[in-house]
Amino acid sequence: MKNPIKLLIIITLLFASNATFAQQADDLVGVWEPSNGKVRVKIEKLGTKYFGRIVWLRAPIDSVTNKPKVDKNNPDVALRNVPIKGFRLLKDFSFKSVGEWTEGTIYDPENGSTYSCTIKMKDKNTLDIRGYIGISAFGRTDVWKRLEIKKQ
Amino acid sequence: MLKKLLVLLFTFPVLANAQTDTTANPPAEEDFSQYDSYNFVDQSIKKYCTSKVFDLSPSKLISIGYDFQGGYNLTTDTLFNPNSSEYTTQNTPGFGSIQYSHGLRLAVNIPVISNNAIIVQLGANYAEHRYKFNQLISSPSNDLITTLKDNGLRTTGLNTTIFKPFNERSFLLVQASADLSGDFGFNSINLKYLRSSVAAIWGQKKGDRKMIGFGLSRTYRVGEMNYIPVFLLNYTAPNRKNGCEILFPARVHYRRTFSARSLALFGYELEGQSYHLGSRNTSPALQDLELRRGELRIRAVYERSISSFLWLSAQAGFRYNYSFEADRLPEGKEFFRGFFGDQPYAMQNTLGNTFYFLLGVNLVSP
Repeated sequence: MKNPIKLLIIITLLFASNATFAQQADDLVGVWEPSNGKVRVKIEKLGTKYFGRIVWLRAPIDSVTNKPKVDKNNPDVALRNVPIKGFRLLKDFSFKSVGEWTEGTIYDPENGSTYSCTIKMKDKNTLDIRGYIGISAFGRTDVWKRLEIKKQ
Repeated sequence: MLKKLLVLLFTFPVLANAQTDTTANPPAEEDFSQYDSYNFVDQSIKKYCTSKVFDLSPSKLISIGYDFQGGYNLTTDTLFNPNSSEYTTQNTPGFGSIQYSHGLRLAVNIPVISNNAIIVQLGANYAEHRYKFNQLISSPSNDLITTLKDNGLRTTGLNTTIFKPFNERSFLLVQASADLSGDFGFNSINLKYLRSSVAAIWGQKKGDRKMIGFGLSRTYRVGEMNYIPVFLLNYTAPNRKNGCEILFPARVHYRRTFSARSLALFGYELEGQSYHLGSRNTSPALQDLELRRGELRIRAVYERSISSFLWLSAQAGFRYNYSFEADRLPEGKEFFRGFFGDQPYAMQNTLGNTFYFLLGVNLVSP
C-alpha cells in the first residue's frame, strides 16, 4: 500500500464497522422479564454467542417441598437437583442481523422441554422471544421487557 | 500488509474467545439479591394475563387419532313430513345391528398470532365414522342404514380460537368453527351445508392456578343447533397433583397430574354434529335430511409424553347416545328448536349405547 492515508482510512472504517456491528449485537445484553413476570433473565455474551440465565424468581420457594426451586422436570434425572436460580435457559444465540438473534434454544422448566428459539428486538427495551418445534409456525411468541436497576 | 491486518482484525475476537465453555450452567455464586431492585426501563408497560394455568393438559398442534365404538343396535323410523305424506312411504322402518363403528381423526391448530396482547389460532379438522353392520340387517332397503353402511359419516372444518387479555386479570376467549358434516365424499362437497358454531367467554385469571369465565355459545354439540350458556374453570390445587378442566356443558374433567410428562383426566365430553344426508344421491328420501348426532362420552383419559413434543393419548369409556334423530332442512336452511321447541323430527331413531376407545398421537404446543 503506497498511500499511508488511504490505508489509515480503511483501517479506521474497518474498526468502526466492527465496533458498530458488535454494539448492535450486544444490544441484547441486559436483564429482561418475560410476560408472566415469574422470572428475570440476564442475557450475557459468552464467546461469540449469547446466553440467558434466571437471576430472580417471583416465587423462589417450591410450595410442595418448602425448599428453593430446582429443575425437577428435567428429562435428565441427574440434573433434577440443579437450582432454578442461576439456570441457563437461553443458549447459543448468534447475532444474525440488526435486531435478530437466531440458532438458539430456550428451555421451559415448567415441562422440561427445550425448544428452538429466535429473538427479535422490537425496540431497544422489548424482545419478541419465539420458541418453536421444528418450524417457526409451530411455536409461541412471548414479549420480554428490559429491566434496569432503580435509580437512587 | 493490508491482507495481514484484515486477517488479524477478523480473527482476533474468535481466537480471544475460543476457550470459553458455554455449555454448562454457570455456578450459582452471584449475589442474586441485587436483581430485586430492578425495574422496567419503560414504566408505561401494560401487563396481560396469559392463557396458561399450571399443569393443564397440553394444547395440541397436530393430532392423529383412531376412534372405535363397540357393537350396538340402530332402529330407524319412517319419514314424517307435516306438509306432504308422500315421504312417509319412501323409507321403510329399519333395524340394523352394528358390529362396530370406527374412524380416523385428524386436527391441526397453528398459532398465527401469538404475543402477550393477543393469541390467534387457526385450525383444521377431519373426523370420519364408518359403520360395520352385521350380516343380518332386518331392513336392507332402509335408506339411512344403507348410507351409513356404504358411506359412513364424516366431518371436516376450519376453526379459530382467539384469546384476548385486557389486563393482568380479565380476558375474552372466542372460539368459532365452520364444519361440513354428512355422508359426502370428497367429490360431493357442497358448502351450503356448512354449519357454524361460536362461543364467547369473558373470564378472569386468578393467579397461576385458576382461570374462571362465563359466556354463551351457539353449538352443535348436542346434534342440532342450540344456544347454551357456558362456564369455564381451569384449576390446579396447591399440591400441583389435582385439578379440573371444565367447559360446562361441553366437557367436565377432574385432572390428576403424575408428573410434568403424564396426567389422567376423568369426566365426560359432549360430541355432536348435524350431518347432511343424501350427498351422494343415494336415495330421494334422504334429500334435505340432516342427522342430528349427539353423544355423551363418559371417559378416562391418560396422556403422557413419549418424546419431548410428542404425546400419546389413550381414552376409554362409555358412549351414551343423546340424539340420532333427523330433520328435514330444504336447501340446508337451519332452524332453532332448542330444548323447548315442539317441531317434530322428520325421522326418529334409536341408537344403543356402547363402550369406546380413542388412541391418538399429538404434537403439543410450547
